[in-house]
Amino acid sequence: MQPGHFPANILFFLIFIAANGFFLFTVYRLYRIMRLGQPEDRFDHIGERLEGVATFVFGQRRVIREPSGWGHFFIFWGFVIITIGSIETFGVGIYHGFAYWKFLGKGLTSLLYLLQDLFCAAVIVALGVALYRRFVVRPERLKYEDQKAVNQDASIIIALILLLIVLLFGARATEYLLAQGEPGRYFPRLAFISVGCSYLFSALTAESLRAWYSFFWWGHTMVILGFLIYIPFSKHLHLLGAIPNVFFRRLGSVGALRKMDLEDETAETYGVSTIEEFTWKQLLDLYACTECGRCSDNCPATLTGKPLSPKLTIHRLKEHLQVKGKMLIAQQGSAEIPAGNPEDEKAKVLIGDICRHDELWSCTTCGNCVEHCPVFIEHIDKYVDMRRYLVLMESSFPAEVQNVMRNWETNSNPWGLGFATRGDWAKGLAVKTLAEDSHVEYLFYVGCGGSFDERAKKISSAMVALLNEAGVSFAILGAEEKCCGETARRIGNEYLFQTMAVELVEIINSYGVKKIITTCPHGYNCLKNEYPQFGGEWEVYHHNEVLAQLLGDGLLQTKLPLDKHLVFHDSCYLGRYNSVYDQPRKVIKSIPGLRFSEMDRSRNKSFCCGAGGGRMWMEETLGDRKINDARTEQALTLKPDIIGVSCPFCTTMFEDGLKERNMEEQVRVYDLAELLVRTINPGKK
Amino acid sequence: MNIVVLLKQVPDTETKIRIGAGGKSIDTSDIKWIISPYDEYAVEAALRLQDSAGAKVTILSMGPERVVESIRTALAMGADHGVLVDDPASEGSDGLGKAKVLAAALGSMDFDLIFCGHRAVDDDENQVGIMVAELMSLPHLGLAVSIEVADGKVTIQRPIEGAKVTLEGTLPALVTFGGAHAIWNPRYASLPGIMKAKKKPLETKTLADLGLSAADVGAQGAKVKVTSMELPAERQAGRKLEGDTGEKAKELVRLLHEEAKVI
Repeated sequence: MQPGHFPANILFFLIFIAANGFFLFTVYRLYRIMRLGQPEDRFDHIGERLEGVATFVFGQRRVIREPSGWGHFFIFWGFVIITIGSIETFGVGIYHGFAYWKFLGKGLTSLLYLLQDLFCAAVIVALGVALYRRFVVRPERLKYEDQKAVNQDASIIIALILLLIVLLFGARATEYLLAQGEPGRYFPRLAFISVGCSYLFSALTAESLRAWYSFFWWGHTMVILGFLIYIPFSKHLHLLGAIPNVFFRRLGSVGALRKMDLEDETAETYGVSTIEEFTWKQLLDLYACTECGRCSDNCPATLTGKPLSPKLTIHRLKEHLQVKGKMLIAQQGSAEIPAGNPEDEKAKVLIGDICRHDELWSCTTCGNCVEHCPVFIEHIDKYVDMRRYLVLMESSFPAEVQNVMRNWETNSNPWGLGFATRGDWAKGLAVKTLAEDSHVEYLFYVGCGGSFDERAKKISSAMVALLNEAGVSFAILGAEEKCCGETARRIGNEYLFQTMAVELVEIINSYGVKKIITTCPHGYNCLKNEYPQFGGEWEVYHHNEVLAQLLGDGLLQTKLPLDKHLVFHDSCYLGRYNSVYDQPRKVIKSIPGLRFSEMDRSRNKSFCCGAGGGRMWMEETLGDRKINDARTEQALTLKPDIIGVSCPFCTTMFEDGLKERNMEEQVRVYDLAELLVRTINPGKK
Repeated sequence: MNIVVLLKQVPDTETKIRIGAGGKSIDTSDIKWIISPYDEYAVEAALRLQDSAGAKVTILSMGPERVVESIRTALAMGADHGVLVDDPASEGSDGLGKAKVLAAALGSMDFDLIFCGHRAVDDDENQVGIMVAELMSLPHLGLAVSIEVADGKVTIQRPIEGAKVTLEGTLPALVTFGGAHAIWNPRYASLPGIMKAKKKPLETKTLADLGLSAADVGAQGAKVKVTSMELPAERQAGRKLEGDTGEKAKELVRLLHEEAKVI
């Protein structure tokens, strides 16, 4: 059965068509399952999307953020290069005389063969490392409930890749030897590994060489086709899911949640309570997952023993989608209902059986999972969509949240303090309200913390002092200000959020405001990235951005030295959500005498303080420790005098963390505005 | 089973109260209005009977147009229908006047049970529920922290000093509710609930519709009149005494004697 000769070529052709047909059929079914999802427009900015594919798929930019990612880099590129070679191999199967060198010339072909050799060798090394990690090192991130099945899947894949490479080398080595004796055949000597392997076969006769070549060739091509069939059923589904998922990734700000249409009178349900109520893109996310576990490795909930693990969420959703999706497709058409007990899967409730309630409520929306996912899976939106269902349809949420929601409704702040006292913090300070003077450059949107929380009021005061010092023209809304509703939205109460957003936009726009400064990253993200959904189109700045700018322009000048050691905590909604990393560091470095250390988990790896996603207002009873305690400990390992923050919620969480350890005297928590004001104004404490 | 819940709209408890012109009432501008919390417990209790026994729940309230919002809130929680007595002539009613208006409205309604908070948190008079029961010759069961309805009887529990007493009354009856948020935990309206509430029937009635004249109720008919209203004196900021312990003690005694005049 020499490849490419009659009748082997006919046989190969039939097998090739059958395998591809089966593959396409399964892919089509996956596509139909994905299309069970709801519509979502992800077809804008095609150029930017393609650029993303180049960077994140071919450049593997996110994959190689971690050392183990380099293994993937070589396997990925090995796969690409082998696939280029496979075209030639398959061509030979149809007609034995097919060869690249006839088209590309011997030089280019030599180079290609060399590349193939090198990448094949690299893949073998990478696979060895992968096996070592999975079965010897066994990192936490590779652990699943169905560990056996997951490991088995991984082993099959690794074995198949290994096998196809070994067989490829075999085919190459024997082909090299055959090419020596036959005129009209050519095999580049530059492919030195293949050539090296040929020594194993050098004693064979031409007859047995041909037999061996035939064996290797058939083996290699059959493994490839088998792999093709296996892909859609395995975790290697990411091969199909990841590239489109990178293409269709969320562009622009990661910080904006989807606006729900609450005006739709025909809507029967809100939020997501069944898998097919997710959008097609959210379902594509599930296909893209590679089960690398980086999400959970960075998740503050997972790392403190909460019932939430993003990798498990995605894994369970994927399993559920595959079974229920087939069911639904079968019902749509005349196809047979799949075997097994699919009714069981259909009867499973998304919220309750697949995702647990306490899992959904454990998410701080810190964005670490999204930030570190090599294939741009959007975990948070799924949690929020399910929360939306629970809140809007079932009025189901942690009991302590109800009071907070009522407080927002009645007094537009989570504490329920009288709305008329919102501007009282500014009494006696040199600050105007927009009602007094609307001809100012900036609105200082103070937010609930800065207005009502005793601790955060000090940050607001410091900011007022700094803005005045720098001669910035600004005003506040005072008692007219309202809560931005960010937290209500993340808790899933989109109705309440939209009510609040519409009111606040109306107030702010009534003064013709163009630029806004906030001291709270949550309000910052919400006003900047979410309010455009409601007609709030402003330039929004976090105070760290403003302070860095004022320092740069020389409008603020630091005078007094501060002989202290500081660590800085990047707030999720400032850093990961809005990429404001350098400005706070610029502020810190402007303070003379202040020694600064970066925490291990800093910048985009920063570890949440535990307050985001509405967690500030929920009891933290699950897990083996509190998130703020874990984060405080991380900060304390560097033995700082000061923990620098830029968020009122982070301030509270760290101060609580220090109090728990009786460390509140030795280590202080300061917003950067508070530190800056000390070095500028000698009168201030 | 038909339940009518008497609901009063009151200023939010965090409201910064200001005395209105004339010094006999509060300035009602710029106030956030809420359902009086005990009335909200009554709504919740009624809705629990709606869930368990299919009771029909009607909300009855009196006051100006703004009260509609509170009635809609109760409808969003799940009540079936609302009635508002909106008549400027009823303004300034004392407890008895309000009870007369509500009793007159109840006269034309079908009910087995009337629920309301044992008091409203604005004027804290603890009168209206009891007076309505009296005017309508109904048994009154006060300060319920639990309720059961079966076989034409209503059974409640009411806390007394260190214990609970169980009371039973025959229907129709009026029950006032006590307890705390932790006991009743009024439900949070779902979005479909809010949507539906917009379309639920809400009737508005005047005193004339109820066969009452302005002289019976309102400021004219009031037997108890507010003669004046004043805010409590603003609390002074605390003062920190300086010096060593001996000096501080001396100063403290002097201040308690001379300024506070308590020793």
